[in-house]
Amino acid sequence: MIYAVFAPLVFAILIPFLSRIKHKIHTGWLILPVPILVFAYFASFLGSNFENQVRSIDWIPSLDISLTFHLDGLSLLFALLITGIGSLVVLYSIFYLDKTERLGHFYTYLYIFMAAMLGVVLSDNVFGLYVFWEFTSLSSFLLIGYWHFKERSRYGAVKSLLITVMGGFSLLAGLILLTIVTGTTSIRGMVDQADVILASPFLPFIMAFLLLGAFTKSAQFPFHIWLPDAMEAPTPVSAYLHSATMVKAGIYLMARFSPIFGGEPSFFMLLSLFGIITLVCGSYMAVRQTDLKAILAYSTISQLGMIMAMLGFGTDVAIFAAVFHILNHATFKGSLFMVAGIVDHETGTRDIRRLGGLMTFMPISATLALFGTFSMAGVPLPFLNGFYSKEMFFDASLQLSGYTGTFVEILATALPYLAVLGSIFTFVYSMYLFFGTFRGTYKEEQLPVKPHEAPFMMLVSPMILVLGVIIIGLVPSIFNDGLLTHAASAVFGSEVTKEISFWHGFIPPLYMSLAVVAIGTLLYVFKSKWERIYSVMPGKFSFNRIYDWAVNQLESASSRITSSYMNGSMRLYMVLLLVAVTGITFFGLWMTNGFNFEVTDVAPVTIHEVLIAIVMAAAAIATIFVRNRLAIIIVVGVVGYGLAILFVLYRAPDLALTQLIVETVTVALFLLCFYHLPNLKKRTESLAHRGVNLFVSLGFGALLLVISLSAYNSRFFDTISGYFTENSYKLGGGDNIVNVILVDFRGLDTLFEVAVLFGAGLGIYSLIRLRKNKGAK
Amino acid sequence: MSNLAVLPIVIPLLASVILAFIPKKTKASRFLAKLFAVVYLGYSAFLSWVVFSDGIIVMQASGWIAPFGISIVADYLSVVLVLITSIITTAAVFYAPNSLEKLQENHYFYTFVFLMIAGVTGAFLTGDLFNLFVFFEVLLMASYGLIVLGGGKVQLRESMKYVLFNVFSSMLFVTTIAFIYASVGTVNMAHLAERIQEAEQSGILTGAAILLFFVFAIKAAIFPLYYWLPNSYIVPNPVVSALFGALLTKVGIYAILRTFTLIFVHEPGITHEIFIWLAIFTMLFGVIGALSTHNVKLIVTYNIIPAIGFILMGIGLFSTTGIEGSVYYLIHDMIIKAALFFLVGALVVAAGTSDLRKMGGLIKQYPVLGWLFFIGSLVLAGVPPFSGFIGKLLLLQGSLSQEEWILTIAALVTSLLILYSMIRIFVRGFWGEDPGELPKQKKKVHRLTIPAAVLLVINIFLGVGAELVYPHIETIANLLMDRTEYINAVLGE
Amino acid sequence: MEIVMIILASILFATAIYNMLQKQFLRIIIGTVLLSHAAHLFLLTMGQLKRGNPPVLVDGVTNYTDPLPQALILTSIVISFGVTSFLLVLAYRTYTLNKTDNMDELRGSKDE
Repeated sequence: MIYAVFAPLVFAILIPFLSRIKHKIHTGWLILPVPILVFAYFASFLGSNFENQVRSIDWIPSLDISLTFHLDGLSLLFALLITGIGSLVVLYSIFYLDKTERLGHFYTYLYIFMAAMLGVVLSDNVFGLYVFWEFTSLSSFLLIGYWHFKERSRYGAVKSLLITVMGGFSLLAGLILLTIVTGTTSIRGMVDQADVILASPFLPFIMAFLLLGAFTKSAQFPFHIWLPDAMEAPTPVSAYLHSATMVKAGIYLMARFSPIFGGEPSFFMLLSLFGIITLVCGSYMAVRQTDLKAILAYSTISQLGMIMAMLGFGTDVAIFAAVFHILNHATFKGSLFMVAGIVDHETGTRDIRRLGGLMTFMPISATLALFGTFSMAGVPLPFLNGFYSKEMFFDASLQLSGYTGTFVEILATALPYLAVLGSIFTFVYSMYLFFGTFRGTYKEEQLPVKPHEAPFMMLVSPMILVLGVIIIGLVPSIFNDGLLTHAASAVFGSEVTKEISFWHGFIPPLYMSLAVVAIGTLLYVFKSKWERIYSVMPGKFSFNRIYDWAVNQLESASSRITSSYMNGSMRLYMVLLLVAVTGITFFGLWMTNGFNFEVTDVAPVTIHEVLIAIVMAAAAIATIFVRNRLAIIIVVGVVGYGLAILFVLYRAPDLALTQLIVETVTVALFLLCFYHLPNLKKRTESLAHRGVNLFVSLGFGALLLVISLSAYNSRFFDTISGYFTENSYKLGGGDNIVNVILVDFRGLDTLFEVAVLFGAGLGIYSLIRLRKNKGAK
Repeated sequence: MSNLAVLPIVIPLLASVILAFIPKKTKASRFLAKLFAVVYLGYSAFLSWVVFSDGIIVMQASGWIAPFGISIVADYLSVVLVLITSIITTAAVFYAPNSLEKLQENHYFYTFVFLMIAGVTGAFLTGDLFNLFVFFEVLLMASYGLIVLGGGKVQLRESMKYVLFNVFSSMLFVTTIAFIYASVGTVNMAHLAERIQEAEQSGILTGAAILLFFVFAIKAAIFPLYYWLPNSYIVPNPVVSALFGALLTKVGIYAILRTFTLIFVHEPGITHEIFIWLAIFTMLFGVIGALSTHNVKLIVTYNIIPAIGFILMGIGLFSTTGIEGSVYYLIHDMIIKAALFFLVGALVVAAGTSDLRKMGGLIKQYPVLGWLFFIGSLVLAGVPPFSGFIGKLLLLQGSLSQEEWILTIAALVTSLLILYSMIRIFVRGFWGEDPGELPKQKKKVHRLTIPAAVLLVINIFLGVGAELVYPHIETIANLLMDRTEYINAVLGE
Repeated sequence: MEIVMIILASILFATAIYNMLQKQFLRIIIGTVLLSHAAHLFLLTMGQLKRGNPPVLVDGVTNYTDPLPQALILTSIVISFGVTSFLLVLAYRTYTLNKTDNMDELRGSKDE
């Protein structure tokens, strides 16, 4: 099984090399066997005696991350869809994409996706799942942006990436919380501890994080907006990723976690509510579209909403119907996408307003589309699989009892009506899709290319899918035992048995189906009469606008915020910095009551020292007011030399000496440099600026005053200096303790102090030299 | 035996001095620089191996017992960081000849680089607070030398601000050491830790601790102290930016990590809580900065800031998982930042501009560069299975198990925005219509790409091969959380 | 006496910062010089003042002033000197290239 998952990945790496020989043979042919073989492998598990399989390889065992593949009914269903539809899509793409395209890229992305998607549906380890999950988002991004020279492709790619990765990060948080609560990273282990999870105080967060992940990936309202824009991808990609597989990853996730959350009222409510809203809005919006692929995109959104809602219902009927519909949707929607691609390919446009009457030119495509659309619409005919699952959906929506709570009950009552409403629109756009394209008047002048039927091989894939539609419709039982019941049982948590049959007698679901057909037909026929409603609702409002606004704001607001303070002004930076440091440090001191002003153990105050201090302070303050460069140097010199005198008084002869020398050299340097710098000017800043400066510097001074006083008065320990005094001569061999410390005890400091001077010297030298060299040039 | 610990500081210092004598002999300096870098790399690897198999190595400089002399402590965290530093240095030395103008190269470029590396290594290894200040000064002085290299108008202007901010923080550092010395009476870090534990008194120590935090925070570019960073990092040559971005801010955050796991752990309810809030703002404002500009160099530079936020997040959480996350993220970020700066350098050469709005369609001519950039963006944003993911996973585990919801959500939002800020470069710079005429620099760009590619491979390894790395990180984090081994190793008890 | 010195050092720090908030290079650099004076004075004071003889060993004297802060200050003075010299040259070069010594005119624009 591990090989099965990694086979596409290995080939993804090989493809760039294979595609070198594309002038001889289309790369697609070379790699087509891969998904077919993997499909065959998974298909071998089919049958009523199916048993769960587990294979595992360690990845990061110390973090409990492994690639554990667990194949149960649900995974099997998805694995078959991924590889089955995958094979058909590759076959189809061979004729859809010309040899001149960058096929290597295309198939590399596609196979990375295939491996990642298999990983998602097979992983038992949540982090393994997450890794694959992100890879599906990334490969989807690359595939949508495949024709990256088109502005719309780039837009769609970035949009899908932002929304799905947002969901991915949220999912990650949810999964981490689950591991924290249960102490395991295995989904099976989590299911075993469902009661622990449900009792956990983290439950609302877990649910919120997971749902955001699932809703964004599966294009649920209001995150559906990325899907229509993802249609910029080549049509095989749309058929594969954005209808049959990747967008169902969110559904898969919810199905996977159903055994844990099933029965939890909030889970029911959120999934049903968002699912049904998505169903209604998606189908409502689909009617309005004019691009074939856009209709299909909104249709996919609405169908995903329907499946999501059924998972929310959580009854055995609903879950069986959900699983069944996953299969059915993949078949009819896949075929419709492929037909739409064929129409685009052969006529040069996908705009339904310019199409029409293609039946005569493309009879086979039209027939395929007929089956696809009617199945999607849920027309009650025994050879259309779409009808079966739709009827079960109605049935399930009627059987919602057992949940209590006012809001929940209102929702449960409203659900059947909403289900019918959504289905009516589904019917309308399905009819529109078929009749608008293949019937009606043929508008030759509006088509860029004269239409003709597609090459036979291109029709093979949709044909196989339509065949699937019919076979499932005619003999549903063959899929039932071997696959669907296993899948539904895996989701429901206990055995689900369900007979699929066409005729149940005159029961409410049948009336609902008939009502859909009747009202749907009426609405379709009089579509032009009520279409104006779209200008009222949604009118100008849409989540797309919100997205565009938000992304726009990301740059413009960021830019505004950043340039509001990053304006290059040294003064502003310093002020902000000092305010923060002063404020937060005072806060910390205050919180810990760090003030200690009880003065203890100080040296006696002597007059001459105080005088020196006053002179120094006065000189320091004077630096602010002096407006002559010579004067300011003298004033600073006073401070420096004053310090030297203090060093003498405070028994630090070495310091005094050094300070004197350094001060003298510095003053000399100042004189040298200032000779070249302009004289001091009158300060021109505003009064407010001056006030702020004053406030900030006084504030910081006060902070240091307080800390130093407190620190001085909180002498918790004797200093380590006693050792130096004792051992300076004994071990260091010198009388001057400071010198011994410098060259011996802390020799390393001195060594690197020299290194600093060395650096400074070279720096100055190169600053000056560079100018000379430049001047020479 | 214990002298092993000091050699990583001595090798680059020696290299620096030797190279200072032959600035004009370009070929010889290049060769020597590469040689020294490789020796330094090899030695760091050896030292790491020794430390991880035999335990912490402490060198008491000139043989004076701690806490009276200066202790050079090669503990697990330090040697790993030194190793990463040596990897980046080596990559930078190989990148430099293709990126620098000859004039710049001849003005003591290699001398300053190795001097800076000596300072950085020293800062990682020293076990003495004042000695840390000295090493800071060494690396800052060298960085001053590097940032003015070339001496353009804009460059000098931004250098002024850079130097002034650092002078301020250095002097604040000395002042803070004075305060700490007054109340604790020592400057040896292990001794400080021991004494503060005994003191059982927070008060003024917390105040001094916060002040010390700010000293390092200015260097680490934490909100709201990072103003100096963005513009001063984009003015020098990309290789200098790479060294700065990969090493300098990281030294700051390392110092925070060290001092606030070893010394000031007496009042985590206040200090570490402050860190969490600052981490949130650092992440968000940093990434907002990255979104605010179309200058590719600036985008990468701003992305330094949220990364620091992530590391600070783990320190603030102050749990083993959080620290593990911080250390993992720190290592990951050092490498990916160097790689990204290298790539941006190549990109600017390839496109002939650093303005994203003037770029487009580069992938056709520079596919390798484009895909490396793509992978680099994913690595940076913490997309699995690359290195950023493991660090982020640990950090999120830490923050979620401590129920830090705001922090978690801020971290997630930041990750998403980081991805967006970087993918913009890919989508707008590499995708799109054919740009037509480009500067004819193919060969040069390729040579610039190689060191970046090597670093990215390490990043991928850190993610995919996490099993080989993580246990060591676990060891590091455990030792940081339980400081007795460090203290005992230094004070010899 | 220490209290007086602490106050003096704080005043030095405050004036240093006030100078650093100015526009002209000259004043800013003066600010950094004052800053280092203040830091050194803090370091000296924090080691307590006048507690015995200068730290040069003399027979029969056991009471010496704390030598460690002095050693640290000495290191710091030298380093500060190096940095200040570099800063001076940098300021001069920046002035000659940018033709201004006003920090406010050195903000730079967004698109460079």
